[in-house]
Order: sequence, then C-alpha cells, then structure tokens
Amino acid sequence: MSHTDLPRHWRSAAIINGFKDTFAYKSEFVLEFFASAIVPAAIQLLLWYALFKNGNKPDIAGQSYADLIAYTWVSILFSQVRGGNYDFDLAEMIRNGTLSQYLLRPVGAVEFVYFRGLSYKLLIASMCLCIGIIASAFTSITIVRMFGAMFLAFLGNIIAYQLGAALAATAFKWEEAYSVLMVKNLVVQFLSGELVPLYFFPENYSWIWKIFPFHLYVYGPTQYALGKMSHEEFFMNCTQGIGWVLFCWFLVHFTWSRGIKNYASIGG
Amino acid sequence: MPQSVARIMEFKQYFNIFMVQVKNNWVREAVYRTNFITSFIVDLIWIVIEASLFSVIYAHTDNLGGWTIHQVYFFLGIFFASDALFSIFFMRNFWMFSDLINKGELDIMLTKPVGALFLALTRWMSLTNVLNLAMGIGVCIHYADAAGFKGGWHWVELTAWLGVGLLTQSLVRFAFVIWTFWTERGWALSRLYYQFFSIATKPDVIYPAIVRYTLMTFLPFAFVASVPARALILGLEMKEYAGIATVLLGFLLFNRWAWKSGLKRYQSASS
Repeated sequence: MSHTDLPRHWRSAAIINGFKDTFAYKSEFVLEFFASAIVPAAIQLLLWYALFKNGNKPDIAGQSYADLIAYTWVSILFSQVRGGNYDFDLAEMIRNGTLSQYLLRPVGAVEFVYFRGLSYKLLIASMCLCIGIIASAFTSITIVRMFGAMFLAFLGNIIAYQLGAALAATAFKWEEAYSVLMVKNLVVQFLSGELVPLYFFPENYSWIWKIFPFHLYVYGPTQYALGKMSHEEFFMNCTQGIGWVLFCWFLVHFTWSRGIKNYASIGG
Repeated sequence: MPQSVARIMEFKQYFNIFMVQVKNNWVREAVYRTNFITSFIVDLIWIVIEASLFSVIYAHTDNLGGWTIHQVYFFLGIFFASDALFSIFFMRNFWMFSDLINKGELDIMLTKPVGALFLALTRWMSLTNVLNLAMGIGVCIHYADAAGFKGGWHWVELTAWLGVGLLTQSLVRFAFVIWTFWTERGWALSRLYYQFFSIATKPDVIYPAIVRYTLMTFLPFAFVASVPARALILGLEMKEYAGIATVLLGFLLFNRWAWKSGLKRYQSASS
C-alpha cells in the first residue's frame, strides 16, 4: 500500500473494525438498542395515553391519538441514528492525553473517532431502514420518503457529531468537557423532537427549536417519513442541513486548531 | 463483651470509616472547583428541560392524570432532590462497580477487616451535588402552597421520603449492577437502569394500572418521587405504606443473596 492510499484505507479499516466490535458484543448491542429505543418510546406512548384516554381529549395541537402514536414509532427509527457519545470520547482523549498518539499519525483524531463509530450507526440505520420499508407495506409511509428521511437523519448525525466535537474542544481549555456535552445532550433531546413532537411548542415559542439544527435529527425525518412534510420543505431542510454541516466543519477546524495550541499532552 | 456493646462498637467503627471517606472525597473535590459549578449547571439545565417539557404539555391541557402543573413541579422538586441525594453518596460507586470485578479491584476490599460491600459503596462521593439537593428542595418549597402541600411539620415528612427515595434507588441500582459478576460488562445494564429510571421523571398517576403496579413492585421507581409527592399532597393509605416496606425488604433480601452468590463466582482478575 502506498502512502497516498492511506487516507482512503484507514477509513474503510476503521469502519470494518467497528463492525467487528459491534458483532463481538452482540448481547450488549441488543441491550443497548432495547434501552435506547423501546423504553423511551414506551414512556412517550404512555404519556399520549394519559393525555388522550385519561384526559378525554379528542386532539392535541391538531393531532389525533393515532397521529401521535405513529410519530412515536417512526421517531424511534431516527432517534437511533442521531448522535452517539463519540464527542465524549474526544473530550476524554484530550483530558487523559491519549490524543497525543493521534497527533503522530497521518489521520485526524476528530475524523478517526467518527469513522470508528460509524459502523455501529450504519448498522442501526440499515436496521431502521428495513423496519421502515417493511412498515411501508402496512402504513402510509412510502419507500422513497423513508430513504429521504434516513438521508436527512444521517445529515443530522454528522451535524450532531461535529457540534459535539467542537464542544469537546473546550477540554483543551478546561481539561473537562463532560458537563458542556451533557448540557448539549439534554438540550438536543428536547429540541430534536425526541421527547415530544415539536408542533407541541406554542407558536410564539417555535423559534426556539427553529434556530438550532437539532430538529433535523429526529423531528424533520419523522415528519417527512409520515408524509407530513412536503417535498419542497424536505429539500429546504436538506439544504439547511448541508449549510450546517459546512458551518460546523469550519467550527470544528477553528476550535481544534486553536485548542491544539493549548494542548499540554499530559499522559498518553 | 455483651452483644449489644459489640454492635455499638462495630457501628462506631463503620461510622468512623464513613467519615474518613467523606473527608477524602471532600479534599479530592476541593481540588476540582470548576467541577462544583459545572455539575450544578448541568442539573440546573436538566431541571429547566424537564420543567419546559411539562410546560409544553400543559400548554394543551390543564391536568395530567388529575395533577395540575404546580403539583407536577412539586413532584419534580422531590425527584431532583432525591436524585441529588443518590448522586452525593452512591451514583459514582455504582458506575465504578464493574471495574471492581473486571479489574480485580475488589481483591483489596475483601482483605479488609470491614465489609467489602460497605467499602465498595462508600468509596466515591459527589459532595458537590449538595447544591443540586438544595435546588430540588428549593423547587419543592416554591411550589408547595400551589400544589396543596400543607407545610408546617409535614416538611419533616419530606426528609423521610427523601430517605425512602435514596434507599429505593440504591437497592434497585444494586439489583441491576450485581449481574456484572455474571455478564462481566456492566455498561449496558447501567444504561438500561437509567432508561427505566427515566420513567420516574413522570408522575405515576399518568400511567395505566399495569405500569403503575410494576412501578410499585418490580421496578419501584414510583418510590423516588411519585409516591412521596402523592403522600405529601394527598396522603397514603396504610396498605400502601405496608406495600412500600415489603417491596424494599424484598429487594434487600434479593441483593444480599445476589452479592453472596456473586462473590462465590468472583475470579480475581488482578491475580
């Protein structure tokens, strides 16, 4: 292998290693999927039950009980694709000095950590896509919309990682970025539409979720898959997503190049 | 020496060790002052997010399972205080529990003249969470009147219920983490615990009967905040108190048995 082949090969090697890792701990994978998908969905479904059945409401925010149940089930598929805790790995690498090893290698640490975790997300995304395609046989979801929604969710995944990586760079300054990343995760969980659909927000507060890209992670894909977002709005969202990817790319580049200058390389 | 005196001496010994652990943890945390502030901010944001979630829901309804928004905020105050109390004393120890088994760190504890489990569960403390505890209690105080809490000497009851919440979280968390003796990796089990625990962030009155039954028996997360809030606002029946005692005793006995069985299976990884 020539040196010029390296950039291409390390990415595929990192993905293949990630697949091996995922398959090595199958029970962990199943437990993780159950924990992160089924339990939150169950809580949300019970909340709808309380609102509609116990509260005797015919509709909420213009949505019926069936609409909200559909939202919950479909949103699970996309909430699995978003995020991951790889930004915490980056912060830890800065804190404990293992980042030093990456500075000697011809690959960028930020990109490497993303590709290392990508295989797990690809596996989850493929599973979710298959479930969505099977569901399209029995519901109003179409295969084209399912693919489009998954594309948007993956754009969201990239943005989520980039924002996390930029925030992880605060560890260069403060040694610890755990709290910053935790706050980010809490805000994302709420404003991505994972806890409740974002149309629940009163109209005069809707700007809160619209100014952030988080709605592209779960809410946007879910609405598109359910047919509640037009193709024009979908393309608008995709354009917005690509804009955020570019902006975050610069943000990561800026924060990490500045951070590396402060890096003391203790340990590692 | 009479048995009662021996018991008192033993208790005193454990108390002294506990105080040494508190002191050690205080010194350690005093070094990381920023952590003091950041952990407070994280919990503050968590409270704001949870409160905002309910504000968004209550924008479309005036009651949820018969509870008003102020009663839910009062419930959230208890929940955060109880969670902070658990974070102060136990949370980190449970996260580190799998290291005890996988890395053989339990070896050294087994050689000490005091209970290994006591040492394992009191090693790490997050004393900075005292601020979060105060914040949770502050939320309770702020919404107490509007929620219909009688106040006065009933505030003592709140203290007792926080104790019940702490005991419940410790017992249930232990029942999850103890399987590390068999599974070797405890991360997924811990994550599963926290996903189930998120059920406790909503008042149990919103759930259907079967789920409420589960939350009062097999996964008694309702004892963390839902039951305490209900007890303080509306009061409980005698059979409910008996139910709580029975469930917690059941968990205690199970954990005792599981710990002993786990120790038999333990193969010192460090040797």
